[in-house]
Amino acid sequence: MISEEQQDQAALYALGLLGADEDAAFESELRANAELRDLVRELREAAGNLAITAPLQLPPASLKQRIMREIAVETERVVPMPTRHATFGWVPWAMAAALAVFCGLLAFDRVHLKRQLADIRAADPLMQTTFFTLAPSTPAPADAKATVAWQPGRQSGVIRISNLPVPQPGKDYQLWAVDAEHKDPISAGIVRVDKNGVAQVRFKPVEKAEHVKAFAISLEREGGVPKKEGPILLVGTT
Amino acid sequence: MAETSTAQQMLDQEMIARIGRRDQGAFSALYDRLSGPLYSLAMKMLGDPAEAQDALQEVFLQIWSRAGTYDPEQSSVFSWTVLLTRSRVIDRLRARGRRSRVVVASTEDAPTAADASTVESAADTAEKNDEAARVRYVLNNLPSEQREAIELAFFEHLSHHEIAARLGQPLGTVKARIRRGLLKLRQRLNTL
Repeated sequence: MISEEQQDQAALYALGLLGADEDAAFESELRANAELRDLVRELREAAGNLAITAPLQLPPASLKQRIMREIAVETERVVPMPTRHATFGWVPWAMAAALAVFCGLLAFDRVHLKRQLADIRAADPLMQTTFFTLAPSTPAPADAKATVAWQPGRQSGVIRISNLPVPQPGKDYQLWAVDAEHKDPISAGIVRVDKNGVAQVRFKPVEKAEHVKAFAISLEREGGVPKKEGPILLVGTT
Repeated sequence: MAETSTAQQMLDQEMIARIGRRDQGAFSALYDRLSGPLYSLAMKMLGDPAEAQDALQEVFLQIWSRAGTYDPEQSSVFSWTVLLTRSRVIDRLRARGRRSRVVVASTEDAPTAADASTVESAADTAEKNDEAARVRYVLNNLPSEQREAIELAFFEHLSHHEIAARLGQPLGTVKARIRRGLLKLRQRLNTL
């Protein structure tokens, strides 16, 4: 049970109105009270929604360019610079040229293969398969992963999961298809992993999913739920 | 959750996870999705395009560098970025040495002629966006004293003490208005 005073504090905290001391005291209370944490999360979501009531104004396109340049520069900064050797200064250039030629050949090969694959797919719609790579999201283990092979023509797919621990009793993993035409994710059934954290199962979403943008796995009540409730553990697009 | 459907939240989380792995394409996509509402918020609080752009730049650079620390248990991606934006804007307001003088337009106010000519009005947005319309509807239907207290806190970042002083109301009354208003907002957004 959350007292009225705690609700007051939670509302002020969600709006960022508590002072530093009050913040610290309230956060220590939050750590010990799951119900209060849930309330804060929901109030924070409600408050966050106020942002979209501001009259919409768009930033200039140049701002995005500026930001993209910044992150590109920052990314370059963390790439270690090669050391220079005066005597064989031409060697790196020759290697780069050879690599460029090799990459060109690979690119040509890739384009050629893609064309062949497209021809095969065009010949038989049931052959169309899209692959999705699902990456872990907190609180899943960092090495958990999954791959989905999805055939829209058949409205079915196969998922392979690895490194996902067996859920605690009373819980199940549930697979969801995120479809552009549906507001909520479509259930694609329960997925049970073995003691090694591995599963490979064929699935079929409960509703037609013609524009799947992503697949996700959440932790739900045992037996599954019609609408996602629990945390997302793995999610990924093509 | 009003701003984002569950499906959109999943996609946002996926984008944040990819940004954490230094994926510039995901970063670009997230910028396209969120820069409008976040810039609008910064503009409403700061009232200065140059400052709002600088704040937005800081926010997105923070998203780039801190995507790995995002915790979906704490908030949705959208709410997280709103928090980052408010925090950057509040720093700027403090640096100015004054509170924002931007008048928070009451939700009852129709957009002025100047608004309509220079920006897309809230009403226009609402027509295009069911979720925005829903939030605005819920906000408009809160008792005016609760809505006013929440808006002063959220957009002008006035403390409960400052709100009490500005409205000439006891501190306890202001706290109760904020609490009741925010609880109603949460409940109605979840049920509508």
